[in-house]
Amino acid sequence: MQNRPAVVAVGRTKFGEHYGKEPEKLIEEAWLAASRECDIERRDLEACYLSDCFLPITNKLGLEEGFLSELTELHAPMEVTRSVSAALLTACHAIQAGIYNIVLVGGIEKMTDRWSKIRDDLMLLEDPWSYYAGGTPEVNHELMLRAYIKKYGVTGENLDKLNIALAQVAVKNHANATKNPYAQFQRKITIDQVLNARKAARKPLGLYDFAPISDGASALILTSEAIAKKITDKPVYVLGCASATDYLNYSSREDLTRFIAVKIAMENALKMAGSSLRDIQVAELYDQSTVMEMVSLEDMGFCEAGTAWKNIYESCRDYKGYYEFNGRKLFTNMDGGLKANGNPLGATGGAQLFEVFKQLRGEAGERQVTIDAPLKCGCSLEMEGFGTKSYVCILGRE
Amino acid sequence: MSSEPIERRVSYLGDRLRATRCQLCGKEYFEIRDYCGNCGRKSYGKMDNIDLFFEKGKLELCTLVTEPTNKFTKLGSYVHGIISFHDGKIRVPGRLTDRIVKDGEIPDFSALEGREVVPRFRRRYAVDRNDVVPTISLAFTLADEYYPHQKYVVAPPQKEYDVPGIVGYGVYTSRFRIKEEGLERSVPFIDEDAVTAAVEAGKMALIHAGVDSKLVGKVYVGSESNPYAVKPIASKVAQVLKLGEEDGDVQGVDAVDTEFACKAATSMFKDAASLVNYPRAGINCAMVIGADNSQAAPRGCPGGELDLFVGFGGAAFIFGKHDVIAEVEGWYSCTSDTPDFWRRDGEAYPMHGGRFTGDPAYFKHVRKAASKLMEQLGLQASDISYFVAHQPNPQFPVRVARELGFKDEQFAVSLQVNRFGNTYSGSSPVGLAAVLDIAKPEERVLIASYGSGAGSDAYLLRTTSQIVDKRQRQKATVKFQAENPFVEYVDYPTYRRLKLGM
Repeated sequence: MQNRPAVVAVGRTKFGEHYGKEPEKLIEEAWLAASRECDIERRDLEACYLSDCFLPITNKLGLEEGFLSELTELHAPMEVTRSVSAALLTACHAIQAGIYNIVLVGGIEKMTDRWSKIRDDLMLLEDPWSYYAGGTPEVNHELMLRAYIKKYGVTGENLDKLNIALAQVAVKNHANATKNPYAQFQRKITIDQVLNARKAARKPLGLYDFAPISDGASALILTSEAIAKKITDKPVYVLGCASATDYLNYSSREDLTRFIAVKIAMENALKMAGSSLRDIQVAELYDQSTVMEMVSLEDMGFCEAGTAWKNIYESCRDYKGYYEFNGRKLFTNMDGGLKANGNPLGATGGAQLFEVFKQLRGEAGERQVTIDAPLKCGCSLEMEGFGTKSYVCILGRE
Repeated sequence: MSSEPIERRVSYLGDRLRATRCQLCGKEYFEIRDYCGNCGRKSYGKMDNIDLFFEKGKLELCTLVTEPTNKFTKLGSYVHGIISFHDGKIRVPGRLTDRIVKDGEIPDFSALEGREVVPRFRRRYAVDRNDVVPTISLAFTLADEYYPHQKYVVAPPQKEYDVPGIVGYGVYTSRFRIKEEGLERSVPFIDEDAVTAAVEAGKMALIHAGVDSKLVGKVYVGSESNPYAVKPIASKVAQVLKLGEEDGDVQGVDAVDTEFACKAATSMFKDAASLVNYPRAGINCAMVIGADNSQAAPRGCPGGELDLFVGFGGAAFIFGKHDVIAEVEGWYSCTSDTPDFWRRDGEAYPMHGGRFTGDPAYFKHVRKAASKLMEQLGLQASDISYFVAHQPNPQFPVRVARELGFKDEQFAVSLQVNRFGNTYSGSSPVGLAAVLDIAKPEERVLIASYGSGAGSDAYLLRTTSQIVDKRQRQKATVKFQAENPFVEYVDYPTYRRLKLGM
């Protein structure tokens, strides 16, 4: 990638239920944390890219840029997207084009303010025809699991293993979150809890298979390579950043067992980064459900289609902190993932990038991944809707 | 919160399950597309409008919804999934309807997946009382259960008759029943109402008649349980069934709702028959539908006595002059200002005059209309094969039939109140359908409806040889629905809940 942009600082709030805070208070907290870390002042910012998925619906806020301007007394160009990855992608383009040198990328979501209507709103955004046919935010995940089981003929003992593997995903993510002070759920869960929740729900996935509804904000400061080198001795470069789009209507998609947009975004991001899968050591996956984490491992190419559950099952039987694919280690969702870290849609991607950034700089504290050599490369996968949009961002130290 | 323009667009696509097929590559799309994503600009103008309304699909995948979104909470738990049509070329999301998922019940997803399903026209979800009622056909029932799938095949007309008559009919009742003191009554599922029953009955009538829906130039819907005080059921029927010439999103058909208590539909038989017979009207067929989610106050409340008798369902008849199965030989109607049963505007349930509904109302009018018509045509009861009367309860039709000189075997077939309850505007029409289901050619049928307020319409019909030919297209006969093994019985509280609807 030419004129590669660099992340010089990150900040975030705790994810969870912030009933006492206005949305602008949350973004302020995240931005100030990032600003403090790199000593960049608000007046240094040349532009802002802010993301929120549906603040205009949940909080009746149509011009989110306004409160950011008010908080920072900043009148620079600002744009709003629906995900932090989308904001980052746009910001990267501007820096690569040489238009700006220092920009703020942030995300905010306040889902609990309209708790009672959130599921209807989410579903209307995600897949309207499914909503009209009685669909909930959970059904497409469950139908994808049914499709997967049928396509790959997973039955009997293997089906039990697959169901346990999905439970292990949630258990692993919750365990990771205990080391993350920003996480929404900082407590462990057991496989039995996951399985019993499914039983209670009388369907393929239960309470513990799904990410929660959250409030939160995240921010990062993105600069050109030259500026980054002046500001910090540990810049983290955006090596590749790509997106792809798929149908809104899940049932109309060609293959119901995968996210084609994830595959395309990953391939393009790798190409842009000039790296191969082997270089990726840590990955933040978009585990809106345990099924999404499983299927994404296949779509991103870490393992063959139809096999991810086996890798998960084997890796987690005696979990050492990573998934193993053909002898290679992949550390995933070290912050707890969407499941336990939380999922304030428009801010989620920022937390993912936060984690990859911290891991690559060796600043992840208790969560720090240790391998023989310093970490070099990590990636994040973010989606909008049920795989309708996919963003892959590859970050690296060199 | 509702947006009428959005409602219109969603209903327009979703009620009929409109779809598109690319002439170039064959790819099919749910919803209407002006060009094909695969073929791009060259496919512009080469997209065929298709729809899935009369088709049979396959339930590919399913799961259970136990915590629905807000608008679906009244449905409780239900099965939701993905349905494919045309061997998987097109897939849509859908909800299985007509199933009460009990507490703790775990549906066998594997056993359901792969089964054939038929789209049902239903209410989409709950809205405020002031909002437009949303509908959709992304609700499905299993094809081998209560409602069998029947292909809609348009047959070229074979024979023109001098006298107009019935060319096809369909009866729609729900899968649920309540059984009390020997009386079985049909109970709507929670997503059904008079509108959905009218559309479904009309759909079945088109299938049975085998006439092109565009030949239907007028549709009358008689009902006393329209969810709207103002907004016709007939416009929904016309749009969903594509009656009349289709021009853009407007149908070239006249559609009107009629009201006269339980004779709102039968009153229009003569209008339909006359209309298709008027040489300058240019109307080939006219459809008359009587459908009701018969209303009754809860027991113990004023008017609650009706709650023991009310049913749900309706029937649709198509009148025309080609391939007639029963000619209309004559009619006689009578009217008087008799307030035996009424519902004031804005009131949820009707009131009635107790014993005043009997002799001075029902019996006086039915007897007059039927006997006058027989007198006019010079017929005795013995000249007539079948007699059909309005059926508000099991006793009235039997008594009036005997008074008119009919023997049990002449009216037993038509007595459906014991199976479906009083379906109000659908009552005597369902009885008539039960007779037409089994009548032989050249038989005379006398039907006498009754509408409170009060009046009666008597018609004499004479069956033709084509009644037998068309029977193969009538799988869902009245008997089939009455004796269906997939009928589900519900208790009184469930019956009230379902009847109240979404």
